[in-house]
Amino acid sequence: MKSATVATGRGTVWVLPALVLVVLVVGGGVFTAALQSLGLMPLVGEPALSFDAYTALGDDLWRSLALTLSLATVSTALAAMIGLATALSALSGSRAPLVAAGLTVTVPHLIGAAAMGLLLADSGLLPRILGSTDGSWPELVGGRWWIAVVVEYAWKESAFVAIVLAGTLATRVAAFDETAATLGAGRWARLRLVTLPLVRPALIASTAIAFAYTVGSYEVARILGRPYPEPLSIMAVRLFTSIDLAARPQAAAAAMVATTLTVVVAVVAVHFLRRSAIWR
Amino acid sequence: MTIRTRILPRASRGLLLAWFLVPLVPIVLWAASNRWSFPAALPQVWGVDGFRNVLAAGAVDAFVRSMGLALAVAAIATLLGACAAQALVRADVHFPAVVAGILFAPLALPPFAVALGLDVLVLRARIPSTVAVIMLLTVAAIPYTTYLMRAAFGAYDIGYEEEARTLGASTATILWKIRIPLLAPALSGAALLAFLVGWSDYVITLLIGGGRLITVPILVASLAAGTGNDAVVAALSLTAVLPPLVLVLLLSRLRRWRSR
Amino acid sequence: MSVELSVRGLTKMYAGQATPALSGLNLTVRPGSCTAILGPSGSGKSTALRLIAGLDAPSAGTVCVDGVDLTRSPAESRSIGMVFQRPMLFPHMSVLDNIGFSHRASGQSRRGSREQARRYLDLVHLGDIGDRAVTDISGGQAQRVALARSLAGSPRVLLLDEPFSALDPVLQTEMHDLVRELRTELDQTLVLVTHDQHEAAALADSVAVLIDGQLQHHSDIATAYTRPSTLAVNRLMGGLNEVDGHLDARGTHHSAIGALAVDGAESLGAGPAVLLLRHEMIRVSDTGVAGTVSSLRPTGFRSIADVTICGITVRVELPAGAGTRVGETVCLQIPSAARAVVRR
Repeated sequence: MKSATVATGRGTVWVLPALVLVVLVVGGGVFTAALQSLGLMPLVGEPALSFDAYTALGDDLWRSLALTLSLATVSTALAAMIGLATALSALSGSRAPLVAAGLTVTVPHLIGAAAMGLLLADSGLLPRILGSTDGSWPELVGGRWWIAVVVEYAWKESAFVAIVLAGTLATRVAAFDETAATLGAGRWARLRLVTLPLVRPALIASTAIAFAYTVGSYEVARILGRPYPEPLSIMAVRLFTSIDLAARPQAAAAAMVATTLTVVVAVVAVHFLRRSAIWR
Repeated sequence: MTIRTRILPRASRGLLLAWFLVPLVPIVLWAASNRWSFPAALPQVWGVDGFRNVLAAGAVDAFVRSMGLALAVAAIATLLGACAAQALVRADVHFPAVVAGILFAPLALPPFAVALGLDVLVLRARIPSTVAVIMLLTVAAIPYTTYLMRAAFGAYDIGYEEEARTLGASTATILWKIRIPLLAPALSGAALLAFLVGWSDYVITLLIGGGRLITVPILVASLAAGTGNDAVVAALSLTAVLPPLVLVLLLSRLRRWRSR
Repeated sequence: MSVELSVRGLTKMYAGQATPALSGLNLTVRPGSCTAILGPSGSGKSTALRLIAGLDAPSAGTVCVDGVDLTRSPAESRSIGMVFQRPMLFPHMSVLDNIGFSHRASGQSRRGSREQARRYLDLVHLGDIGDRAVTDISGGQAQRVALARSLAGSPRVLLLDEPFSALDPVLQTEMHDLVRELRTELDQTLVLVTHDQHEAAALADSVAVLIDGQLQHHSDIATAYTRPSTLAVNRLMGGLNEVDGHLDARGTHHSAIGALAVDGAESLGAGPAVLLLRHEMIRVSDTGVAGTVSSLRPTGFRSIADVTICGITVRVELPAGAGTRVGETVCLQIPSAARAVVRR
C-alpha cells in the first residue's frame, strides 16, 4: 500500500545531526582527497591544477587497480556462494554453521588476518597437521596468488552475507516455501522460483557491501600479502606515510581511484536493487 | 514452518562448520602455548606466557583506549541513527530518498580514502585526533545503525503510544516507558554493530591517530610485524575477540530472557 | 474426474504438549463433494489440513487419495492444493505469473504458463488485472487470485483453511457465491476448514465437527443442526436451548417445560439427558407451552426472545417485524423436528 502522505519536513531536525556529520566527514574527506590528488591542496607551494599525481604513478596505478579488482571479485564471489549455502542450510534445520558464522562476524579483520597467518603460513598449523613440513607447502601467505588474503576476505565476508541472508530467509521466505510446495513445486523448483528471487535484494546488497569493504581494506593485505604489486589501499597508505611530501598527492590519487571503483559498484548495485520489485 | 527443504548435501553442514571455525583454532592453541616450535602439530609446552607478555606490551592501555573508542562510537552512532531512522520511517523529511542515500553513502567509500583526505582538514582545524577518529568511525557505523533502526521503526506499532496518550501519559513518559523499552532489542543490536565498527578499526586509527593512538588492533599489527611473537599475538587476538563475543552472547541471552 | 480423500486414524502429537493436537481422525470425503471441518480455535482443524496437505508429518494414521496411501509422500507430489487464510501471493511475481506458478514449476515456459493462467483468471472473474503487481490489488481480489492459483495446479483435492475469515461479510458472501459457481464448473473434491457454521452451511455438503482434536460429529448439514451428537457440537452449530431433564425409555423427555417426545431418542436409553431445541424452528402461536417474555435481543433484522417457562429460559427466534414485547405471555409451538436429545 503506497503512502500518500506529503512530507512535512517536521522530522528534518531529527535527521540533521546524522546528516550533517556524514556530509562533513565524508564530503570533506573525499573532496579534500580529490583536491589533493589534483594538486589543488598541496602541503607546500601554490595550488595548481595538474594530473601529475596520477601520471607519476604510471603503470603501477593500473596494476594496483587490477590487483584490487581481482582480489575483491574473487573473494566476494566466494563469500556470496558460501554465505548463501550457510543461510540455506540454516533454513533446512542445521543451524550450527549459522551460529559459527555469527562468531566469525565478531572477529575484527586484523585478528582474522593474524589467524589466517597462523593457519596458512609455511610454519602455520595447516601444513603442520597435513605433514607438509619439508618446504613443499605452497606459498599461500605472501605468494603470487594472494591466496591467504582472498581466503581471509572470503572467510569474514561469507559470515556477513550468511547473517544478512538468514535474516531475510527466516522472515520472508519460509511461509512462501510451504505455499509453493502445495502448488506442486519440488525442492529445486522452489529454490529457483521462490527462494532465490526473494533473497536476491539482500544478496545484491550484502555482496556489494562486501566488495566495497574489500577494496577499502588495508590491514589484511598488509599482513598476508606481498610487497609488489600492491593493492590500492597499501599504495595509498605507503605514499601517505612516506617522508617524501610530494608523495601526498599521489596517495590521494590512489585513494581516488579506489573510491571511484567502490562508487561505481555501489551505483550498479543500487540499479539492480531498484529493479527488484520487492525492495523496500 | 516445518518443511525442511534439504537443498545441500548432508556433508555440507560439517564443511561449513569447519570453514568458519578452523581459522580460530591456531589462535587458541598459540595463546595457550609457551613453546611450540616447528614442525610439531601441537604445542610442546602449554602455558600462559603469551598472556603475561601481552600485559607487558602495554595491552591494558590499548584495551582501555579501544573500549572507550568503541563505546563512544556505539553511543553516538546509535543515537544519531535511531533519530534519523525514526524521521525517515515517519516520512517527515523532504527528499527522503536523498537523505537515505547520503546516510548509506559511507558504505560505498573506502575508509582509508576518507581518512587520508580528512587528515589535512583535521590538522588545520586543530581537532584532537581522538575526536576525529570517533567522528570518522561514527560515520562509518551510521549506515548500519540507521538500517537496523529503520527496520525496527517499520515494525513498530504506534498504537501503543497512542493508547498511552489517551491514558494521559506525557511525552517523556511515553519515550522512556514505552518507546525505548519496546525498541530495546533493535537499539542494542545497532549499538553492538557500531561497537564492532569502533572496536575493529585499524586503518582510520592509523592514519588519523598518526601512530600515537594505540588501540588493540594497532598493537596486534605492530606485534605481528615482528617475528617470534606468535604467542603474544595470539593471546592479544584472543582478548580482542572477547568483548564483542561477550556482548553478542549477552544480547542473545537478553533477547531470549525477554521473550519468555 | 474427481477422487475420494480418505483419512484414517490421523493423529498429531507435538513435543512438549500433554494432549494431542489431533486424535485419531477418521474422515472420508466423497469424490466431488465438499466437506467442512468445523471447530473452535485450537480444535486441531488447521493441523488436520496441514497433515493432509503434507506440510507436517502425522504421529500416526494415513492419508489416502483415490485409494493410494500418500502419508509418506512429500507435499509437492501429493497433488493436494491448499488456500491459506492469507493469500500468500508471491511478491516478486505479477498476478498472472502467480497463477501460472504450478505450470512453471512443472517445467513449462513462462509464456506457456501465462497462457494457461489466463483461463483460471477468467474463472474467478478477474480477467483484467493479470499484469498488475500483487501489491496493487485489494484483499478480496488477492484471495481470488490465490484460489485461481491453487486451481490452476489441477489438484485432485483442494483444501481451504479459513480462506475468507479475514474478509468483511459482503466480500465473504461474494466469495461463497464464487466457490459455489466453481463447484458447478469444476468437478473438485473440497475440504473447507472454518469456525463459522454459516459458512459451512453455505458451502459444504457434509460437516465434520472437531473439538479438542477429536471428531465429535460427522453428517450432512441439516442433521448437524437438528441432530447434533454432543452438547459442544450443538453450541458450535449455534444451538441456544439446552434444557436439563430426564429421558424415559420410550423417548420422551421430561423437564419443567413438560413432556416432549423426541424422534429416535429411544436408542439413547433412559436416564438424565439434555433437551436441545432449535430456536429458529420454534413458533409463537395461540396454543402450546405458555411462558413469559423476559428479554428481547436484536440479532440483525430478526430478534431472539428469552421466554421463561417454569423457571427455564427457552430462546425463540422471532420473525422480522414481530410485535412481541417484554413481559408478554406467549405460547410456543415446538415442532418435533426442532427437538433433539443428548447426554451431558
